Amino acid sequence: MAYSRDEIKQITDKVLNMCKADAAEVRFSGGERSATRFANSSITANLIEHDQEVSITVRFGQKTASATTHQFDDESLTRTIDAVQALARRKPDNPELMPLVEPPQAYMEFDAALPSAVNFGPAERARMVKASTDICEKRGVLGAGYIPKFDWVEASANSGGLFTYFHYADASFILTCRTPDQTGSGWAGTTGVKDIRNIDAEMLTNVAADKALKSRKPRAVEPGNYTVILEPRPAARYLSLMLGSLNARNAEEGRSFMSGKQRGETRLGEKVFGDNFTLRSEIGNQVLRQSPVGQDGLAARSVTWIEKGVVKNLFYDRYWAQRQKKEPTGTTPNMSLVMDGGTASVDEMIKSTKRGLLVSFFWYIRPVDNMTLLNTGMTRDGLFLIENGEIVAPVQNFRWNESPAVSFNNISALGPQVPMHTGEAYDNPGTALVPAMKLEDFTMTSISPAV
Amino acid sequence: MHSRREFAKTLGLGTIALGLGPSVFARQTAAPFPAIKDPKYRTWSEDALREAGRLGCTYTDIRFTLNRSNGVAVRNGEIQSGGNIGFGQFGDEDTYGFGVRVIHSGVWGFASSPIVTPAEIRRIVGVATEVAKASATSKKFDVRLAPVKAYDTFWQTPIKVDPWSIPLEDKVALLVDVTRTMQKSPDVMFGNAAINFNYEWKFLATSEGSFIEQVFYYTAAAMSATARKDGVVKSRTFNPGTETRGWEFVTDNDLKGNAERVAAEAVEFAMAKPVGQGLKDLILMPTHSALTIHEIIAHPTELDRIVGYEANYAGTSFVKLSDVGKLKYGSKHLNITADRTHPGGASTVGYDDDGVEAQKWPIIRDGILVGLQTNRETAHYVGETSSRGCTFANHWRNYPFLRMPNIQMEPGPKGSPTLDQMIADVPDGVLVDGQGSFSIDQQRYNGQFGGDCFWEIKNGKKTRMVTDFTYNAISTDFWASLDAVGPPETWQHNGMGGDAKGQPVQSNRPSHGSSPILLRKIMVGTAFA
Repeated sequence: MAYSRDEIKQITDKVLNMCKADAAEVRFSGGERSATRFANSSITANLIEHDQEVSITVRFGQKTASATTHQFDDESLTRTIDAVQALARRKPDNPELMPLVEPPQAYMEFDAALPSAVNFGPAERARMVKASTDICEKRGVLGAGYIPKFDWVEASANSGGLFTYFHYADASFILTCRTPDQTGSGWAGTTGVKDIRNIDAEMLTNVAADKALKSRKPRAVEPGNYTVILEPRPAARYLSLMLGSLNARNAEEGRSFMSGKQRGETRLGEKVFGDNFTLRSEIGNQVLRQSPVGQDGLAARSVTWIEKGVVKNLFYDRYWAQRQKKEPTGTTPNMSLVMDGGTASVDEMIKSTKRGLLVSFFWYIRPVDNMTLLNTGMTRDGLFLIENGEIVAPVQNFRWNESPAVSFNNISALGPQVPMHTGEAYDNPGTALVPAMKLEDFTMTSISPAV
Repeated sequence: MHSRREFAKTLGLGTIALGLGPSVFARQTAAPFPAIKDPKYRTWSEDALREAGRLGCTYTDIRFTLNRSNGVAVRNGEIQSGGNIGFGQFGDEDTYGFGVRVIHSGVWGFASSPIVTPAEIRRIVGVATEVAKASATSKKFDVRLAPVKAYDTFWQTPIKVDPWSIPLEDKVALLVDVTRTMQKSPDVMFGNAAINFNYEWKFLATSEGSFIEQVFYYTAAAMSATARKDGVVKSRTFNPGTETRGWEFVTDNDLKGNAERVAAEAVEFAMAKPVGQGLKDLILMPTHSALTIHEIIAHPTELDRIVGYEANYAGTSFVKLSDVGKLKYGSKHLNITADRTHPGGASTVGYDDDGVEAQKWPIIRDGILVGLQTNRETAHYVGETSSRGCTFANHWRNYPFLRMPNIQMEPGPKGSPTLDQMIADVPDGVLVDGQGSFSIDQQRYNGQFGGDCFWEIKNGKKTRMVTDFTYNAISTDFWASLDAVGPPETWQHNGMGGDAKGQPVQSNRPSHGSSPILLRKIMVGTAFA
């Protein structure tokens, strides 16, 4: 059972009452994290993790310190509070410490913990694995997958009377199918799903099995610049590479792609990307149903970051906003992220491609040059050559070196948005609505025979 | 269309390397808890094992863990908040709880909780058992565990100075001094310095009869300078890494003594010219080769990857089971040893989380693959009757599984070329120090690596700093190009944090020591072509 609003309020009130500092903040995080993992078509790990923690921050003037404990008994809380208060008094002043966020804050209200996700237990996950591995067996492939589930509460309170509470539950289904001869591999998945009825494990297994079977014995083609069609998973990973550049402080300090020519300047208002690139944080989006609580407890509001290629907003944290005489943004760029899509299906993108590559997955993406957003990464789990509007062959994987700052000027088609995780793993919130995208002139630098 | 090269030119700026992650203060409290050798954990464990047996489990372990972390980070003389270095986890907190792992009906079940009471332990044993029973409905094979001896013992990281005995003011003063020293250079925009400490107490009881209590200390330190010169921004890092040692790890690495050098090299780096593209000889310093060893030797020789357990996330391996004893992994100079007993090693322990005693064994000898990393669950895949002791969970909350131990490159024999002799033997090459951008495919075959700083070598002389450097490595081809490994007196330890694997992802911290190494004719610079 997840912690109720009343239970959390009792805990945070208790902690705040115990604190003797000038001011205090409490953050609660806890609930159930479960997961079922399978490989070679059999479950290899099935687990239920319970956790709870309060992070306590106290203030004496501009001095502040924080400590976290996972035990809520009186003795543990007293020990933690005594220690953090003693520590704060010994700290030097923090010139960047901002006043507490004051109530009331108008948080958008919606249900993010639907019964189908809350009740999604190990037996239901095992049945999903069975349904998937039965198909794998029938199709002659080996399934390796992951079904993570969260039933979680994030809450906070401060001595100024602010209280926030957000309960969410979601699950993902992620699958890699491989052929027994190890020459073919395919990926399919969906993430951050709030209504479990929207997870179609059989359909996803057939997609991954198809890719595995069709990607067997890939041939090598020359590295070079290609038209690429990124399915939603690699598109989401690629999109994530530019989110950090939306931080205003880094930009104004001259440390980011969004920095202007002179130190202190940014590219706000400049057209940096193509007309068909629009990126927003859409708080309250009914598919994502992600937290409406922004930085330090500010009510998050919807923000357009990029509109038709023009930089419309950068993220100002509370300290930097005050210093620069701006309004704090509250909403961070990874919150309820939505990239505008289009109407082209992946099949239509393939038909309109003279020569290019269909990409199922990106792997091990790492920055090479932060100022240009140049990154390197690999393709994986299904790479196909397209010629004259048709898939003609599986091809060996490529290492790529490319920048979304370039590619998002080269988008030639977009598909409908789907929920897809933007991170390398799937364990934390990070699902966005992202379309499949067709990008021109994408730089593949070397071949990898890895399957 | 925009081309990447044209775009980079119009921007007119160079690389800014990632600075150190900031950190926050932790509690500066008295001696860590719980008390060592508290008998209640044995009593609670025996109750848990008995209950699991009553429920029909054929194997059970219960693992209590306490972690206490403390980190301090300073930027330009001011304390920072948030994040940490070295461990990639925990931040500044106490975290205490337990996990129960069972085998029932031939499959695993795991559950964990931070509420450490007899009633909750009993409940969690039941939850883990129910999870295993649910898994059994879709199993294709039973878990097979290699036999293990029973141990009733205590083991502790040997340290000289407890980091928690050092006053907070002294830690802050050290880092303020380091960053202020770097800032003396007018071109340095940011000086960062950070230290991080982790204390871990662990009590493991298994239905095989073991009761193993262990205490570990981990210490990390790093610093960086970010300089701007003629509009170009670059960072230079001095990162001694992570070791299982105490405060002495910080003092031995003399952050203050390196501050002026790091600042000067950051400025020089901001003025460096691109290295260009082509085949060049490489000299990799131990601070850099640690990462290459990690990515294209340590990961591909993890047995769980080879047999497909990581196919959905970390990946599989280009190494096949049948390669052991046959695969020519590299030149005759390549000798690799797995070692969980190495003093100071970041993954050095007394016993792993299966209760297997720490050990040392060969992975590569004279360029030939001779061994793999195994645990109780996977040893049978290579026909071995005992585990190599590679099971690890990074938190009480997490389930234990196969993680890499310290994977070290053996030094060359006495009389092998020193660093100066290697440089003298290079007509056209690059010396690489520290770690930068790195990326590697899911079978660990095609890697692209950057570094922290690079020097051109021409006609046997180290000439100038260069930039825009990466190199490409096809694993076995790359190690076949290994032409020299420095002698024993040049061998250096390098502990790393943040090694991600598993679902849910867990972070591991192995060490990869080596001497300076020389490789011939490696392709460089393609990322910037």
